[in-house]
Amino acid sequence: MLEIRSARKTFYKGQADEKVALDALDLTLQTGEFGVVIGSNGAGKSTMLNAISGAMPLDSGHILINGDDVTNTPVHKRAMRIARVFQDPMLGTAASMTVAENMLLAELRSKSRTFARGLNAKRLSDYKERLSMLGLGLEDRLDTRVELLSGGQRQSLSLIMAVGGSPDLLLLDEHTAALDPRTADLVLNATIRAVDALKLTTLMVTHNMQHAVDYGNRVIMLDAGKVKLQIGDDEKTNITVATLVDHFSVKSDAMLLGA
Amino acid sequence: MMEFISSTFTSYVALFPVTLAQSLILAFVVMGIMIPFRTLHFPDLTSEGAYPLGGCVCGMLIAAGVNPALAIIAALLCGFAAGCCTAFIHLRFRIHTLLAGILMMTMLYSINLRIMGKSNLSIFGTGSVFDWAPFVTPGFPASKIIIAGIIGAGVFLALNWFFKTERGTAMRAVGANPAMAEAQGISVWVSTIGGVGLASAFSATSGALMVQSQGFADVNMGLGILINGLAALMIGEAIVGKHSVFRQLLAPFVGAIIYYQLVSLCLAAGMPPPDLKLATGLFVLAMLALPSLKRGRGGAPAREKFRE
Ligand SMILES: Nc1ncnc2c1ncn2[C@@H]1O[C@H](COP(=O)(O)OP(=O)(O)OP(=O)(O)O)[C@@H](O)[C@H]1O
Ligand SMILES: [Mg+2]
Repeated sequence: MLEIRSARKTFYKGQADEKVALDALDLTLQTGEFGVVIGSNGAGKSTMLNAISGAMPLDSGHILINGDDVTNTPVHKRAMRIARVFQDPMLGTAASMTVAENMLLAELRSKSRTFARGLNAKRLSDYKERLSMLGLGLEDRLDTRVELLSGGQRQSLSLIMAVGGSPDLLLLDEHTAALDPRTADLVLNATIRAVDALKLTTLMVTHNMQHAVDYGNRVIMLDAGKVKLQIGDDEKTNITVATLVDHFSVKSDAMLLGA
Repeated sequence: MMEFISSTFTSYVALFPVTLAQSLILAFVVMGIMIPFRTLHFPDLTSEGAYPLGGCVCGMLIAAGVNPALAIIAALLCGFAAGCCTAFIHLRFRIHTLLAGILMMTMLYSINLRIMGKSNLSIFGTGSVFDWAPFVTPGFPASKIIIAGIIGAGVFLALNWFFKTERGTAMRAVGANPAMAEAQGISVWVSTIGGVGLASAFSATSGALMVQSQGFADVNMGLGILINGLAALMIGEAIVGKHSVFRQLLAPFVGAIIYYQLVSLCLAAGMPPPDLKLATGLFVLAMLALPSLKRGRGGAPAREKFRE
């Protein structure tokens, strides 16, 4: 379970270009829930995910994972519980290391690392099997350096790395946005399958309203650093892209009227 | 002309064993430069101070009658501490790695002077680890080649093992992509401090061995060692490559051996020793500039991506 309690984050505090990214944001995600986060550019979606992972310290407020307050826990310790896939395929993998080595790093995310040999035969065959599920042929390229893979292949690898070891929380920040439509579909389908199969507690940020309608059991709309709207299980089955878009336009109308 | 070539050749051949012994000792500094630059992407200048630090510590201890092997271990530990300090300065105060290294090597100069109490110290005639070489008469280059070679092989095998363990892979990940490493639960602090410390420990070991080899310690013995080491590293990488742990670890040894033979050849051919640093600097510059020259005008994108 993820709980965010009145999280605040302001950039350039006290300066002319002060920017409130998170404004007393509250959010609770039950164990096994799959939340799809939408909201206009600058709404604070990435900032929220960065705050959860620890990459961005909060000004005030608390973050709890399965009841434990992790607000002051550094990124590498939170990583025991949290897996992430970034928007930029370059960010989520170690480019100069091989596919197998990247898989190893991910496998050790929630374990303590020892002086034992990293890539043993058992692990290699396990990685082969897990990568073959993607159908991209990565299972035959375990010794290839990741910098030689395409963006889509890298992102697929990031995904397999993230869902391995069943993290307590999976964070996806527009993780298919940088891919061509076909690869984006492939990565998204692999995501949905893994999240369903492993019952992962997941937050996925997307700008694709169709995805917000089709996937997940809750839509969370952010606006100006707050949760503006949540559509849960029962209601969610009835929403359409048009309803969601309406919520965006209500906002812009209000902005127009206010101006 | 023929005479020039033959005299150059004769004096080069005469120097060959001495140069080989020297290069095997200096291979440890090259290793101490390679680990931060390549494995950790942390361009580090500490070696310029850690090398004489190792020499001064070792020299003082041997002069005080300490066992030469223990003196090397003490030098190694001091070098480790120096490297840890550089990494800490960078991580804690967000000072650029190069500046952190310059600060450290400048401060080490005073520390080295304090350790010795004077700018140089002769330990000629006292025992050294090279006396323990099997099969050969102590004092000859062969004894140095054997001992330095054994230590070098041991270091190579140990590192080749370590960088493939779970912890070693994690350390390499911090160099490859620090943000990703952190998101995979790896402490960037622990790996960086440990890795830079390890590298400086090698530089200090090299200084300690050199002092035992030449029979004296000097606070200025590190001058220019970094550029020499970089030149050696680049030669090594050009020959054996750098795209696997094995090759990357082999490069410092191969590079050191070839580089110092080339230097010896230049000297034998009559190049004045004072010009050596200029020549080495130009060589390193050429190696760094090569990719941008190949790509033609308009400047090249940064050749290496380093941590700030
Ligand atoms: N590192 C930063 N420094 C300064 N301001 C920032 C930083 N990160 C985010 N912001 C600001 O905080 C606000 C929220 O940004 P955030 O990246 O969370 O938006 P987002 O909802 O992810 O938008 P997008 O859909 O464009 O990705 C924006 O106004 C942005 O300019
Ligand atoms: Mg964003």
